[in-house]
Amino acid sequence: MNADRKSTVDGPGELIPATIPELGRLLAANAKGERRPVLPVGGRTALGFGFPADPSSLEVSTSRLDRVVDYPARDMTVTVEAGCRVESIQASLSPEGQRLPVDVPLAHRATIGGAIASDAGGPRRFGCGTLRDYVIGIRCVTVDGQPFKAGGRVVKNVAGYDLCKLMVGSGGSLALVTEVTLKLKPLPSSSAMGWASFDRGETVSDLLVDLATSRARPVAIELLGPKAGRQLAVESRQELPTGPLLLGVAVEGNAVEVEWQVEVIDRELRAGGASDVTWIRDADTAKMWSVLTDYQLGGEAPVTIRACTRPSRTVEFVVAAIDAGVAVQAHAGNGVIHCHLPDETVDVESAAAVIGPLRDLAVAGGGQVVVERCESGWHNKLLMWGAPRVDWPLMNSVRQEFDPDGLLSPGRGIDGAMQQLAADGMVVE
Amino acid sequence: MASTQSTPDGSVPVAAELIDRFCRILGDDGVLTAADELVVYECDGYVVEKKAPDVVLFPTTTEQVVEIVRTCNEFDVPFVPRGAGTSLAGGCLPVGGGVMIALTRMTRILEVNLQDRYAVVEPGLVNLHLTRHLAGTGFHYAPDPSSQGACTIGGNVATNSGGPHTLKYGVTVNHVLGLEVVMPDGRVVELGGPAEGLAGYDLVGLFVGSEGTFGVCTRVTVRLTRDPDAYRTLLGVFETVGDATQAISQIIAAGIVPAALEMMDQGIIEAVEAAYGFGFPLDAAAVVLIEVDGLEVAVDDEAEQIIRLCEEQGAREVRRAETEQQRALLWKCRKQAFGAIGRLSPSYCTQDGVVPRTKLPEILEFIIDAGERHGIRIVNVFHAGDGNIHPILLFDERDEDQIARVFRASDEILGKCIDLGGSVTGEHGIGVEKLQFMERLFTKDDLAVMASVRMAFNPRGSCSPGKMLPTAGACGMEHIERSRPGKQAAS
Repeated sequence: MNADRKSTVDGPGELIPATIPELGRLLAANAKGERRPVLPVGGRTALGFGFPADPSSLEVSTSRLDRVVDYPARDMTVTVEAGCRVESIQASLSPEGQRLPVDVPLAHRATIGGAIASDAGGPRRFGCGTLRDYVIGIRCVTVDGQPFKAGGRVVKNVAGYDLCKLMVGSGGSLALVTEVTLKLKPLPSSSAMGWASFDRGETVSDLLVDLATSRARPVAIELLGPKAGRQLAVESRQELPTGPLLLGVAVEGNAVEVEWQVEVIDRELRAGGASDVTWIRDADTAKMWSVLTDYQLGGEAPVTIRACTRPSRTVEFVVAAIDAGVAVQAHAGNGVIHCHLPDETVDVESAAAVIGPLRDLAVAGGGQVVVERCESGWHNKLLMWGAPRVDWPLMNSVRQEFDPDGLLSPGRGIDGAMQQLAADGMVVE
Repeated sequence: MASTQSTPDGSVPVAAELIDRFCRILGDDGVLTAADELVVYECDGYVVEKKAPDVVLFPTTTEQVVEIVRTCNEFDVPFVPRGAGTSLAGGCLPVGGGVMIALTRMTRILEVNLQDRYAVVEPGLVNLHLTRHLAGTGFHYAPDPSSQGACTIGGNVATNSGGPHTLKYGVTVNHVLGLEVVMPDGRVVELGGPAEGLAGYDLVGLFVGSEGTFGVCTRVTVRLTRDPDAYRTLLGVFETVGDATQAISQIIAAGIVPAALEMMDQGIIEAVEAAYGFGFPLDAAAVVLIEVDGLEVAVDDEAEQIIRLCEEQGAREVRRAETEQQRALLWKCRKQAFGAIGRLSPSYCTQDGVVPRTKLPEILEFIIDAGERHGIRIVNVFHAGDGNIHPILLFDERDEDQIARVFRASDEILGKCIDLGGSVTGEHGIGVEKLQFMERLFTKDDLAVMASVRMAFNPRGSCSPGKMLPTAGACGMEHIERSRPGKQAAS
């Protein structure tokens, strides 16, 4: 073990501890000494999300904490250190016919700790759920260097408060995740994804209502606008139908299950108005899943926002986004929508003009719009988390219990949202 | 502040003025103070420890709950929420007395939205009533604790209840989307909601399973689940407990996730057969109830695969439920198994431990051994697929020595669960019963972090004091005697 190995300092202020105890010691030393703000870093795939980090932050990387601690395959659980890359975890599970059925963007780089902090997910959240459904045990270190754990290594456990849930999506603002135990699922042997294009939102809405009670059980229902459809076709090197609205329905299972469901869905899509259905099968779906998942991040778009609303309000939102020139990808079964604003969004005012009406739609559906990425300098002029929700002060109290002095990821997450509320008048929206 | 003097047992009596205030909020009919009626509320399914509340209140609206909580705070009196009281670890025991807020009159189903797959219900709604309400829609509410005919959705939220079908579908927390909570200071907070993926901390996930220590839940938005396209229900009959647990282990290892995988040993089969007459083989050491669900085109193959695995592990036979009636009776036998135990013994104590699934053979052997060493008969009916054991310790509560041996055997079994990498509770909760195990499962630092999280919700400790954590708010605990394990209801 590397317990005594010195950490390296990579560039200005990045610490890369080799062991979890060393991570604890470094944080404790900082808390007692310099007291610099701390920014947890995993695979750097989601660091640019939301509010910007304090530039004076000490970056603490988990990238060397990458051991598989225990993989009792017959228990269908795995315990890994937080710096394990998601793709390499999947690679060690697949020989046993198992997987973590959660789509994580840039899975070859993203760490499981970072995925948990950012609550990473993708198209298959419809059929498989999200990370909160799979994290059954967690070990963390507070910003003072104090280790703690919650949950355990068994799939059913109600001893103590469920801090696993609290850490999923906490954005590195409560504690640094160091080790997690995940519940696993069998790896399906077969998969297929059918794509069809539609001219009118109403047609898609009706079809989604029917799909909700289909005898088939899709694992993903994706709805893309024309820009997103074109870009995804290029990325995946697949011939996808072209049209104003592109609907993708995916199934997984054994060969018999998949074949039967393909027939059912093909029939339902055609009955719902599709003139043609393009099916992508087995090996080709793997590429498609990662393209769909990575597309959420937005690449070069000037602004990327994520909306959530009730599933039945998705089509309305997507149509409005398309009309505003936005490249839009919706996990239509869940009401989770990723929007990349057009290149013409040259200033914060034009960004706000696009976001405002979309936000109203999301809020009317019980949801929210969050700005995931924007040009630097726009963060304090856009309402990053939108209108305040009634549970924000409580979230802030929870954060203060973990980190009373605000050393961990200050200004990010709920802290940023609360500060933005207090700094009235800054926002152009 | 209407200060009051402590009674000899350390709890704080509730002032007459306070009762008047409650009557004004709720009307006389919503306030229970007669000693002989309060006895009903002195414990839940964990009857070992008892303490009657000073008053039980029956609000019908969130606003009334707010008024109650504010009034309690004004008079500095602790309060504890309660559902149907079917919990099994003393989770709704009014430690230190005070006010009990019974939510059993808040039973409305406020909204059912099938397209968005959610329902909004009040906390006092009985679990099974929601399922019945949804019958015929093609959707159901997945968590199905064995007590589902009595337990409430709000109580399920408090304990993060499980049930036989959690193997495939997950426990309560996987099916709760949003909560309305009256905080311990009287604020009303909405956590989450029907739209998923809201930014910020998952306070819904944190609240579920907090055993009433974070506030009073007054409204729950639950996820609705599609009914399976098809299912097959099997009964594997085994000559030894070891064969049965090995078969369970093989099924999971083969990558099959059945909807349910439940084991009953000979002792419980005998009682269940006497009660319900299903036709169980009385000479079998164990039976395993296995349900697979999924697409009609796939379930037969999966069932065949399971039958083969069972036979390879020496199953005497594997029966199929051929009709819906047979399936229903089989499930009735499983879910109401606890009701049949009275035939075996005057009293019983149900334990709730978890081990990694591959350790089931080991823990079962240990249980048999512990029973023999302490001279206590133990029967088993449990959620085998999850590794969630429920040894039932049989005894006569008139015999003090037997009671002491029941405690020793229980503690050893739970200790063994910890040693095997498991937990002391899979679905019943810590409550007051298992407080002493928290320090074996968690370090002081772990518990300190949990206590600090509670501070964010319940800084004065006025809501459900003395629960979950051994470190904080234990006032009054010393006056509750752990003297006699008694009859406990089903999980």
